[in-house]
Amino acid sequence: MAIADAGSSLTDEQRAIRDVVREFAVEEIRPTAREADETETFPEDVWDGLSDLDLTGLTVPEEYGGFDADRTTYALVNEEVAYGQLAVATALSVHCLATSCIAEFGSEDQKETWLPEMTRGRPVGMFALSEPDAGSNPAQMSTVARRDGDEYVINGKKQWITNGQRGEVCILFAKTDPDDPSSVTQFLVPKDAGFEVGKKEHKLGLRASDTTGLLFDDVRIPAENRLTEEGKGLSAAFHILTGGRVGIAAQAVGLAQSAFDEAREYAHEREQFDGPISDIQSVRHKFSDMATQIHAARLMVREAARQDDAGEDPRTAAAMAKYFASEAAVDVTNEAVQIHGGYGYTTDFEVERMYRDSKITTIYEGTSEIQKDIIARGVLD
Amino acid sequence: MKVLVTVKEVAEVEDDFEIADLDVDPRYLEYDLNEWDEYAVESAVQLAEAADEEVEVVSVTIGPERSEETIRMALAKGVDRAVRVWDDDIEAAEFLDVASKVRLLEAVVAEEDPDIVLSGVQAHDTGFGATGVALADAIGFEWGAVVNALDIEGVLNDGVARVHRELEGGIEELTEIDLPAVLTIQTGINEPRYASLRGIRQAQSKEIAPKTLSDLGLDFSAVESELFLTDMYEPETESDATYFEGDAGEQAAALASALREKGVGAE
Ligand SMILES: Cc1cc2nc3c(=O)[nH]c(=O)nc-3n(C[C@H](O)[C@H](O)[C@H](O)COP(=O)(O)OP(=O)(O)OC[C@H]3O[C@@H](n4cnc5c(N)ncnc54)[C@H](O)[C@@H]3O)c2cc1C
Repeated sequence: MAIADAGSSLTDEQRAIRDVVREFAVEEIRPTAREADETETFPEDVWDGLSDLDLTGLTVPEEYGGFDADRTTYALVNEEVAYGQLAVATALSVHCLATSCIAEFGSEDQKETWLPEMTRGRPVGMFALSEPDAGSNPAQMSTVARRDGDEYVINGKKQWITNGQRGEVCILFAKTDPDDPSSVTQFLVPKDAGFEVGKKEHKLGLRASDTTGLLFDDVRIPAENRLTEEGKGLSAAFHILTGGRVGIAAQAVGLAQSAFDEAREYAHEREQFDGPISDIQSVRHKFSDMATQIHAARLMVREAARQDDAGEDPRTAAAMAKYFASEAAVDVTNEAVQIHGGYGYTTDFEVERMYRDSKITTIYEGTSEIQKDIIARGVLD
Repeated sequence: MKVLVTVKEVAEVEDDFEIADLDVDPRYLEYDLNEWDEYAVESAVQLAEAADEEVEVVSVTIGPERSEETIRMALAKGVDRAVRVWDDDIEAAEFLDVASKVRLLEAVVAEEDPDIVLSGVQAHDTGFGATGVALADAIGFEWGAVVNALDIEGVLNDGVARVHRELEGGIEELTEIDLPAVLTIQTGINEPRYASLRGIRQAQSKEIAPKTLSDLGLDFSAVESELFLTDMYEPETESDATYFEGDAGEQAAALASALREKGVGAE
């Protein structure tokens, strides 16, 4: 069965996009993965390639040179890029979060200023919501943007910011009144406004992606850089993150599929007890479970994307997809290592990196626990 | 100026397969654009991009409806429109030999009147390596075979294709070929691009014109082949390959001792 086609009501255009991005992932992205992971450096040439394919303008409206992808196409691209390397997919999806914010909330001037260039890949975008003391509950944030004449003065610290080093444009969430939790507002802060980039985190996985803190010490931006009305920042963030979640779920599917394919090839080649281990029933059943999980996860992603494209409220379906697909990615990569035996525990085999990479998908853009919270709200209240 | 690119959707055989009658069982086949044609398409698109005047790039395929997916990919990379030749008589033809294909392509050339025709050196599946050159002969064009470098400016400004041709033994020949001409393009002549998302979107509305034999003023006799397939089989393997395990150093050491055992290399 062509699993990747599962449940597909894909259009010819979507199918062609999926095929091209898959080919790019296999030929251009995957070969950089090991070194990028080992040296903790982002493969910038790959980024330029993504831009040649128009992927860096995936969520930018066409009038600013972007592709303005529907959610289903967005998910397909995320799945296939992650099939090549999760760190690249994460960097791309965060860049897309930033362009989505500018496209959706920015003024005409801001869109003209930023979107055509970001569509071409640089400047790279960041999305700065989390703080050292405010993760699952961003309302608890302490970064403040104080109005001063026709400027805002920003003070505070952001944490875990993807593209922190590479990025040049930051979508920042801050309170305009430190004592009012409902005053969270969204701003656009170019790096040259003068915030400081903290040290790069050394991580279990996703090591090619630069994750840093950002330190704001009396950073001044013009008042026009405010993207939402004061107090409207958090609902804007949640709205953008719902779409983003479908992307993260799709990335988990792509990562799981890549580990599955590695394990499949290995199981056919590796011989024990006078035959390939793919003949051993308990190994075969691992593949049954893995394939079923991937299949289910992919269908959940497609359904959440479909709801979004159809203008339905996709929040519950997106949370279910993110929760299920990310946990599936952890399970599937774990089994892929197991199927490789001792070899899978070494950096000589791709599944070792995939296993380490998978864990982040249950944590960022809302932990599994938070997804369950959202799902419970959707099905109970 | 008009460039005609001949493109073929070729069958790729999976590692494990079975033969049914005179062909590989279709269950073990996957289809993709012929690798050589990828380079021919890229050369054609580069010509169009470099030109000041309008250069139209048209692709022609002999293939069933299935091949439209592959043709669309060429359209996504910058080919302007496509012609696809097929009908029941072609479908029923036992074997499309080079002469049959040339008769069909010749009719398309007569309709399109191109200044230059680019084809791949060979097709990955049937591997005749003859279609491009045979077509040149049929339509009375000059030709250059196995072209691995092409001076685009010469084509656009001087009506001359200055080409490098790859000869055996690592020798290259520099040839000037007056247009109109057929060039058979070798892999490596350029770096074929990936289709961009916008290219893919535009390609959805580009024309793929279906043509039957009668559209081309031909009848079934055009696909009557003088060549017949008599058998297809897998040759017996006479030697086994050895895979050396380990890192590069260990593999090299194992290879060295294997070679020495066979009497290769200095004592
Ligand atoms: C590599 C990486 C990249 C990231 N990129 C970005 C980025 O670009 N931008 C950005 O803004 N953030 C980013 N993040 C931050 C990420 O979104 C947060 O780490 C995540 O939201 C969890 O927050 P936390 O780490 O503070 O954990 P906490 O919120 O402290 O959670 C700790 C534990 O408590 C659980 N918990 C908390 N509250 C509840 C609850 N109500 N019910 C049940 N369980 C609960 C959590 O599920 C978790 O298990 C990134 C993180 C990482 C590691």
